[in-house]
Amino acid sequence: MLSFLRRSMLTREPETHLWYVVPDEVKSAPLLSKYMELLPQSERDHVLGFRGDQLQKSALLARTLVRTTIARYQVDGHLDPRSLRFKRNIHGKPEVEWETKDGFCPPPLQFNISHTSSLVACGVTMNSLIGIDVEEKRRRTKNNILAFAKRYFTAHEVEHLNAIPDSELQQQEFIKLWTLKEAYVKALGKGFSSSPFNTFTIRVNTAAQESFCLNQASSGIAVETLDSPQNLTNNWQFALLELMGSHYVAICLERQETGGAGKAFPIKLTARKTIPSVEDELVSGTNAVVTIGGSVTQF
Amino acid sequence: MASITRASVSMPSLSTSVNQSQRRISVMNSVSFPVSGRSMIPSLRLQRGLQVCCAAKQETVDKVVAIVKKQLALPADAAVTGESKFAALGADSLDTVEIVMGLEEEFDITVEEESAQSITTVQEAADMIEKLVEK
Repeated sequence: MLSFLRRSMLTREPETHLWYVVPDEVKSAPLLSKYMELLPQSERDHVLGFRGDQLQKSALLARTLVRTTIARYQVDGHLDPRSLRFKRNIHGKPEVEWETKDGFCPPPLQFNISHTSSLVACGVTMNSLIGIDVEEKRRRTKNNILAFAKRYFTAHEVEHLNAIPDSELQQQEFIKLWTLKEAYVKALGKGFSSSPFNTFTIRVNTAAQESFCLNQASSGIAVETLDSPQNLTNNWQFALLELMGSHYVAICLERQETGGAGKAFPIKLTARKTIPSVEDELVSGTNAVVTIGGSVTQF
Repeated sequence: MASITRASVSMPSLSTSVNQSQRRISVMNSVSFPVSGRSMIPSLRLQRGLQVCCAAKQETVDKVVAIVKKQLALPADAAVTGESKFAALGADSLDTVEIVMGLEEEFDITVEEESAQSITTVQEAADMIEKLVEK
């Protein structure tokens, strides 16, 4: 992980590490107890405040994943995940509260977490603001998609959804848009009320003429805010992944530098499935992680 | 009596939650609240606007509970009350927006996204609905 820090400081290419846990694969009660012990009392209380075992488990795994993941990136040797303190910025976005010891320079580590009952994910970068959102592919809305989109999305996005003839594909495209919009707002870190969903558009450029949807790596994704000129919102770049064939993962990163002619460097992505303190498995570059939007190189 | 009790409990939070209606805040300031419960009753009866805005009607809370249970696919006998937090019941942000959309349809109101994000419990949703319905 030290090389991640060094590389990020030397190159201009945004590098993102994605770590995720599949709750159904973590069954050992002693292991879950061990995770609970990593948390301060306030976080334990928060976990226990969720209704039912499944919700408590994914909340526990979310806190565990954040702590154990950040601990891996420490420059000065092993860091106890228990010792990490978190705070919220003035808008409510969680951040690490580093100890200010003499001579200690906190790493410019940025992270964001997202979870559903079936997947818990944490994205990490150096320097770049990051937002991630995960959702099950088969998630269905209770409301009609177009009615929902007309109420909460922008006109362009409604048109994009409306143009999809197949209702199953339309449902999936809706979920993709939702995760991309969530990832953007979370990357901004200013809270949802400062960026209501109908004040910015996710624009999708699909390469293939016959395809309306985000389904391949060449599909470009950009964000445009209604009240800013186009060039200001080129600060953000996106990746959309299909994970394990069952989930969409949207990642939004602050662009540090552009390549020639304002073109962004592709996002360098490493993805690992983990059971914290038990095992890690590198899955980027396998068919467990398929890029379906944005410019991404997996390694 | 139950509504009076509820009114007296939610008074302290009213000044923070009612930040949009200056008229209601000035009404509240102009009424003096004596300590004894008995003399409070005539004051509240005179201020009809005050009585309604103190706390949401049980009927409203029940409707919110029904919508929440439906959205989150909770069993009908699941314990959901005014204090229940959406997140603790398993609502993610998409669920919360869908709940708000359901409330908009049920009560024929429009909830600004900024307000929608600040609703975290059943009671907060019910209180907000009542304010919007009155307009």
